[in-house]
Amino acid sequence: MTPGPRWRRVFRHRSVEREVDDEIAFHIAMREEKLRRLGLSADRAHRAALDRFGDAAKVRDECITIDRQYAREVHLMETLASVLSDFRLAFRSFRKMPAFTAVATITLALGIGATSAMFSLVDGILLRPLPYAEPGRLVRFTQAYPEIGLDSWGLSQENVAMYRDRVHELQSFAGYTRRGATYTGDGRPERLSVIRATGDFFTVLGVAPVLGRPFGRAEDTPRTNDVAVLAYGFWQSHFGGDRNVVGKTIDLDGQPTRIVGVMPASFTFPRPDAQVYLPLGLDPTRKFGWFLTGVARMAPGVTADQVRRSSTSLMWEWARGQPGLLKAGVDPRTTRMTTTIESLRDAITGDSKRPLEVLQAAVVLMLLIAIANVATLLSSRSAARGREMALRNALGATRGRVVRQLLTESVALASLGGVAGIALAFVLVRAITHSSAVSLPRLGEVSVSWRVLGFTLAVSIAAGIAFGLAPALGMLRGGLASQLAGGAKESAHGPARRLNNALVVAQLGLSVVLLISAGLVLKSFERLVGMDLGFDPANVTVIAMPLPARKYTDNRAVVIATAQIVERLRAIPGVRSAAIAWTLPFSGNVNTDGYLVEGHTPTATAMATQTVQIAIGPGYLSTLRIPLRFGRDFNAADRDSTRPVTIVDEALASRYWTGGDAVGKRVRLTGDTTWFTIVGVAGSVRDQDVATEPMPHTYFPFAQVPDSRPVLAIRTDGNPAPAITEIRRTIAELEPGVPLDNIRSLDDWIGRALDTRRITELLLVGFALLAVLLAGVGIYGVMSLYVTNRYREFGIRLAIGAEPRTLVQLVLGEGLVLAVTGVGLGVGGALLATRWLRAILFDVSTTDPVVYTTLAVGLLTVAAASCYLPARRAARSDPLLALRAE
Amino acid sequence: MADAESDLLRSSLDLLILKALSWGPMHGYAISEWIEGATSDLLLLEEGTLYPALHRLERRKWIAAEWGLSENNRHAKFYTLKPAGRARYRAEATVWHRHAEAIAVALRRTSSELL
Repeated sequence: MTPGPRWRRVFRHRSVEREVDDEIAFHIAMREEKLRRLGLSADRAHRAALDRFGDAAKVRDECITIDRQYAREVHLMETLASVLSDFRLAFRSFRKMPAFTAVATITLALGIGATSAMFSLVDGILLRPLPYAEPGRLVRFTQAYPEIGLDSWGLSQENVAMYRDRVHELQSFAGYTRRGATYTGDGRPERLSVIRATGDFFTVLGVAPVLGRPFGRAEDTPRTNDVAVLAYGFWQSHFGGDRNVVGKTIDLDGQPTRIVGVMPASFTFPRPDAQVYLPLGLDPTRKFGWFLTGVARMAPGVTADQVRRSSTSLMWEWARGQPGLLKAGVDPRTTRMTTTIESLRDAITGDSKRPLEVLQAAVVLMLLIAIANVATLLSSRSAARGREMALRNALGATRGRVVRQLLTESVALASLGGVAGIALAFVLVRAITHSSAVSLPRLGEVSVSWRVLGFTLAVSIAAGIAFGLAPALGMLRGGLASQLAGGAKESAHGPARRLNNALVVAQLGLSVVLLISAGLVLKSFERLVGMDLGFDPANVTVIAMPLPARKYTDNRAVVIATAQIVERLRAIPGVRSAAIAWTLPFSGNVNTDGYLVEGHTPTATAMATQTVQIAIGPGYLSTLRIPLRFGRDFNAADRDSTRPVTIVDEALASRYWTGGDAVGKRVRLTGDTTWFTIVGVAGSVRDQDVATEPMPHTYFPFAQVPDSRPVLAIRTDGNPAPAITEIRRTIAELEPGVPLDNIRSLDDWIGRALDTRRITELLLVGFALLAVLLAGVGIYGVMSLYVTNRYREFGIRLAIGAEPRTLVQLVLGEGLVLAVTGVGLGVGGALLATRWLRAILFDVSTTDPVVYTTLAVGLLTVAAASCYLPARRAARSDPLLALRAE
Repeated sequence: MADAESDLLRSSLDLLILKALSWGPMHGYAISEWIEGATSDLLLLEEGTLYPALHRLERRKWIAAEWGLSENNRHAKFYTLKPAGRARYRAEATVWHRHAEAIAVALRRTSSELL
């Protein structure tokens, strides 16, 4: 076929009807001629020819329809082919400029990948409904008694029964607590994370087991509570997903326990580490021990506020019947005592909400910077390619075609970045959800959300089109022909340059906001890490040592066994000291209680603070290097038969005494009648949360108040690793029933308490540094273009005697105007934006002048350095080269 | 035209067109003349039905169309067999022969019993 497709298409379009008419007319004319040759008259021949042809109008319509369809198909194929060839051209031109393509792709990929990953996290953790039936009606239920410092007060067993039976706004109510249990499977004992819950637990959450049945109220009374429901993960890891597991009996804390059910994989309440659910064995007559957390399902149509009002009046009624509790004289009618009703979702995700939101905002800024950066690159490049485009135009490509090609290039680039970004998002989300360093709630439910990916991708492709189009149109307006002539470059690029300058200012401004936010968070984190905790965690190894309950039924046995273990451990080479205690700093496991000081009338303010109580063995203070300010440490002479003694810390002592006056005085705990004589004053410690002020501590001799689930603290000389084998061996030899699967360093333990902050800080600093890098690339690109466009002018100026220094100053000056504008806008933006950070900052003001000044100056320096290279090139302009290049 | 004959004609018309063009480029009128002659005027009663068939074959890219001059110097649309059309013709002709023979044999049978 000789006519080209384009010609044919045009031709066809114009004359589908005419062609069909011509064809039919030709046929009839030929027939007529033949019939006439056979002797028919002209008139009859004509009629006969028409007759033989049949329904000409119908034939005509049919043919036209077919031809039109055919034309459409051909047109479509040609369009596809030309788009394809545009893409091929785009990719070929990418190959010719690998640096440009790589920078643009990586930039977009970082923006898209980080944004998608972070939004997927937010989506999975904060936005998606909890995987329980009608999660909107689920609340966490606790109590508060602010007058005595109990902002968060657990529930007693009596409380649980009361709220369960008497709050009519609640459809169901359960209490639960997390406590470990030693599981003895085959041989090696192991510590499990166990949830003990009241009978309505599974009813409240509305989740059915995948195997067997849940436990209910019948199994929730003491002595009937010998059944267990397994979490899915534990069932998989310890029973290999055996479907016949229901009915088997396992040994928990020496107690034979029958497995009755297995929960689905999606059930991870209250935390993903729960392995076994046991019925608590609710005893409503137990008035003390507020260790339970409530979880409730509200009746349909009831609000949390209604529940709070109704349950609070119930709480007051109960409190009036507790004279011991209200000894401080708090009038239950005017008290701020209240129940605390939180939506279960907020309760679960509460602490991670703000950091996640901050990071989400940070990635949005980064995506904006990335897009602005690529736009700058694209527009610089299309400006530099003005001549190529003009040439194409001169050679016959229409303007539309040239614009389409530029657009195709932007879209191709955005797609490249998008594909790389999606891959990056998957890698990031996988890294975060599989990392042991990240402790976020609901992590198991996080996956890359296609909705999020689609959105980010659409944004970047739309941006690609917008920014590809702008310079293309600018170029067309400026006149392609003038490009060929090579003159008037400066004027031709006016609009494009203004756009580029705006983009660079925007990039710099946004990076300043990110950088200052990251700087504040970093400073806050350093304050936290550098905080004097009051003890020295380095080289301290922590071993949880729950003794087998069956064997250790009386306290004396516990004291003897632990003393023996500690003594043997101290003899191990490399072990400097060892001590036993109820609990160690940052274990999250703490006993607090109100206290009374002999000779001081208890006032409301005195009642407003509580003391942390820890029983410690001799040598605990020196093992943790907590200084003993006055008096003495506990020793082997402090036994259950001797005078009850205590060591208080300065946080407590300084409230009542100065210096060593505390020694010899007596304190007692509310709810107890024993007076403890103070024998020593220790330094204050921050052992609950780095960010909160030290709480008052009272230490008791472990021998006087032993516990069968103590922890060991062991200080080694240098790296503990060599001694650990021997430590393990010794403990296993002395007490084979102790699970040794949880040996960690104290540093590690503390580090976990800072995990969320650490991740926030690391990510934010990472984002900020990337943003600065991108902004640097952006300003470099724009200034390079500026110099390229004025290369000839600079050359001539040099030739007629201008100082190279003047040119450097000129270019630097141009760049610095942009930089100062951007940084100035950014500082203003940061002042507004960082107010939002206040909640996650510790000991740092949101307007910290040092952070603002350092980072603003730092970014200006980066900008100046980025401008310097193009400026130097300007100063070395060679007039001959510049002229010849035209 | 009887319905039975029309259906049969429609399916065979494509095949006949391809056959006609196997001798070389032809315009519509020449094709209709050839079919009339080759089938003893039996098959083509309304000549117009040829054209939608031709255009359909062109759309399926079995034949190509091009304007040219006829033997008596008129503007006429010539159709050419394309390689795809030639292959199609071979395949369809084989099937047609097999079916036609089988049907003819069956229709000539005088006994209901199978041998």
